[in-house]
Amino acid sequence: MDKFKFEGGQRTLFLGMIAVGLVSMVLTFFADDALHTRFWTNYLHNTIFFLGISFALLFAYCAFTLAYAGWFVNFKRIWEAYAQFLLVALILMLPLIGGLWMGYHHLYHWNVPEDVATDPVLYGKSGFLNKWWYTLGTLIVVGVWYLCASRIRSLSLAEDNGGGASNNFAEYASIKKWSGILMFFGAFSSAAMIWQWLMSLDAHWYSTMYAWYSTASFFVAGLSLTIITIIYLKGKGYLETLDGNHLHDIGKYLFAFSIFWTYLWFDQYMLIWYANNGEETVYFQTRIQQYPVLFYGNLLINFVMPFFVLMRNSVKRKHGIMMFAAIILFFGHWWDVFMMVKPGALHTAHEALAQGHGGGHGHEAGFTPGFTLPGLLEIGTFIGFLGLFMYVGFSHLSRAALTPANDPYLQESMHHEVI
Amino acid sequence: MSAVVSPIREPLITGSKTYHDITEDICAPTERAPGLAWTIAMALAVGGLATFAFSVFWTVYFGIGTWDLNRTIGWGWDITNFVWWIGIGHAGTLISAILLLFRQKWRTGVNRAAEAMTIFAVICAGQFPLIHMGRIWLAFFIFPYPNTRGPLWVNFNSPLLWDVFAISTYFTVSLLFWYTGLVPDFATLRDRSTGMRRKVYNFLSFGWTGSAKHWQRFESLSLILAGLATPLVLSVHTIVSFDFATSIIPGWHTTIFPPYFVAGAIFSGFAMVLTLMLIARKVLKLEDYITIEHIESMNKVILLTGSIVGTAYLTELFISWYSGYIYEQFAFFNRALGPYWWSYFGMMACNVLSPQIFWFKSMRRNIFVTFFMSIFINIGMWFERFVIIATTLARDYLPSSWSYYVPTWVEIGIFVGSLGLFFVLFLLFTRVAPVVAIAEVKSILKSSGDQYRGKNAVPHHHHAHDDHGHH
Repeated sequence: MDKFKFEGGQRTLFLGMIAVGLVSMVLTFFADDALHTRFWTNYLHNTIFFLGISFALLFAYCAFTLAYAGWFVNFKRIWEAYAQFLLVALILMLPLIGGLWMGYHHLYHWNVPEDVATDPVLYGKSGFLNKWWYTLGTLIVVGVWYLCASRIRSLSLAEDNGGGASNNFAEYASIKKWSGILMFFGAFSSAAMIWQWLMSLDAHWYSTMYAWYSTASFFVAGLSLTIITIIYLKGKGYLETLDGNHLHDIGKYLFAFSIFWTYLWFDQYMLIWYANNGEETVYFQTRIQQYPVLFYGNLLINFVMPFFVLMRNSVKRKHGIMMFAAIILFFGHWWDVFMMVKPGALHTAHEALAQGHGGGHGHEAGFTPGFTLPGLLEIGTFIGFLGLFMYVGFSHLSRAALTPANDPYLQESMHHEVI
Repeated sequence: MSAVVSPIREPLITGSKTYHDITEDICAPTERAPGLAWTIAMALAVGGLATFAFSVFWTVYFGIGTWDLNRTIGWGWDITNFVWWIGIGHAGTLISAILLLFRQKWRTGVNRAAEAMTIFAVICAGQFPLIHMGRIWLAFFIFPYPNTRGPLWVNFNSPLLWDVFAISTYFTVSLLFWYTGLVPDFATLRDRSTGMRRKVYNFLSFGWTGSAKHWQRFESLSLILAGLATPLVLSVHTIVSFDFATSIIPGWHTTIFPPYFVAGAIFSGFAMVLTLMLIARKVLKLEDYITIEHIESMNKVILLTGSIVGTAYLTELFISWYSGYIYEQFAFFNRALGPYWWSYFGMMACNVLSPQIFWFKSMRRNIFVTFFMSIFINIGMWFERFVIIATTLARDYLPSSWSYYVPTWVEIGIFVGSLGLFFVLFLLFTRVAPVVAIAEVKSILKSSGDQYRGKNAVPHHHHAHDDHGHH
């Protein structure tokens, strides 16, 4: 029972989730402000969230491969399959790119020529923050990531059919090469694209930590999704050679990277707080004053919860509690990215709307549904994107054996034991 | 210990060693009279230590005025050296703690020497803030304790004070970790010796008998210390980076500093481990225990951390332009093209560009290349700290106070002398303690010895069940 079967029930469920997402998005679009800010921020938020997860898992896959890690081999097919979402993510980026050229969304302040001309800060950044860079950067960078992901995937599948030891592990050697290419190319390109996609929503603000911080967030979300998938598949009787030892080690990663995420969060926050420089503190000031639930909730969900729940050794082998922690953390990092997207975009929209109406109301709003907190429409959109991600992931997963039978490290993985 | 090993994993112990061979090979250097190479090295190191003592005496006696620090450049070689040494003091605990948690078997060949190096490097690092105080006899003022100095009290808001706590904690835990690992090996030395030597090792090994209960405690303690040490590895250089990043000096105040400093510290620490181990394995004839596999793994860590540092350099450079903040932009323009341009290019060449050759397996496995690269990186990482500190301070907000800084002989003497201090300690260590962890290497013999794995493996018996044999 090594070949995963994408059952009709699962397909129906994921298609249902996609339908929920579509309905939510349509409802959002029609119950929105004149710029459809809520709709577009939801779209951007979820696209980047799942794009980031597939990149982070691909990056980890490549790092593990180059480090000659053996233990992860019997679940590496899950990461291979999830990394294939990059192609879908690239397609999902197209409407956002189109909006920059045709002006049907108003997410990025730097894309308003009149403001760039009069605002020296935006003008200074216009060499990087412009639609050309955004378009070509997204297409080329995500394109190369996907190229690496698909090459690695097909090499790994080729290994199953007459490859491996009989072929002197030639496919494995090629996977290492592509892993090297992805890591070399991905290290800086991911940072550059995160500045474009997310950091530039707060177009005046900057922080050198930002890209690493968001990547840590994506990776924790990816690990959570991996744990959820593994426990689900085990419940279905798949992944027979994967046991508590593997779960324990992924659990350690989940714990360690939750702490690492907190470490980056603290560094970024503390240094900005300490220097007390208005251009920088405004970012956190806005979030603490106008989005307190998001701000403090973020720390509670993503630091306090995993710190206490995942600390003990024995916990990392228990399916129930690991499932609980993984679901909370998956949602928690979606929440974190929500907070990266919403405040800046809302501010931009408020300024634009105020100009359109000849001034008037400022941009500090009270409670704004879909911004101050995720509402039902946000949850619905999230469910839709999750359904799409799972549909794509499971269809790839079902196309090959779950265990790479000819992988040189498979035996190590099957006998993996954490003392 | 997992006994199933991938067919493509290379052995980590060569020469078909038995458990007895391991004991003999590793104990030998401590049991024979020192060779010529050791004596010459020790003489040079003592010379360095004397230089250090003399230069420090000169500084303390005549005051900090004997250095070339000035109104603009308040931190020069002293803090550069401090950060450099602290960085080097990172690899040991990383190897011990994080690689233990990751169950990396190649750790066992190099952890002992790396931990020793860590402790000595932290000792060297600790000298510089003390000397820099000028009035070193008042150094105890840095401790917060009830006193009669009235309002003269430590500043808890200062990262320099956090350094005091972080480094002393790190030093303590590293020392405990190192010593815990040494206990069974000291017992091995004790069992082989007689007379006074036996008494000393008996004392040092705390009455270790090798009973199951002792081993069980040893394993639990190692795991607990590894768990404690892992956040400490990160905390020390994080707080060192806060020394700079909490300020509002352009080029210092940047949020990426903490993780980037930690990566740089691991980078330089591994470079120093490689420098030392490549010599030690030759001189002490430990090539069977510190193999090309070990060197390759360390070169991968070098490549990874070097690339992280490189990404951080590019990030800083790019965001300085992106910020639109003219002082930030100038700080980086000045670093790259100002009067200290040579140090910036030295840093980039040594830390970012040259380690990229380690993408190629043949380079990672080449001992000469590795040795030169390790020296390169040591130099490059020193330049990095010099770039951050001196270059930034030399051109501050007021052009009227711009200045250029060149060290005096006293500052150079202290730095070169601190290398003497380091090597004296390290050379003594190679004489009194096993340079490779005997007990730990034995624990991987059945899974990683070359008579069991790889090309030379004896094919006909099943070793998978031999693990419970007598050692």
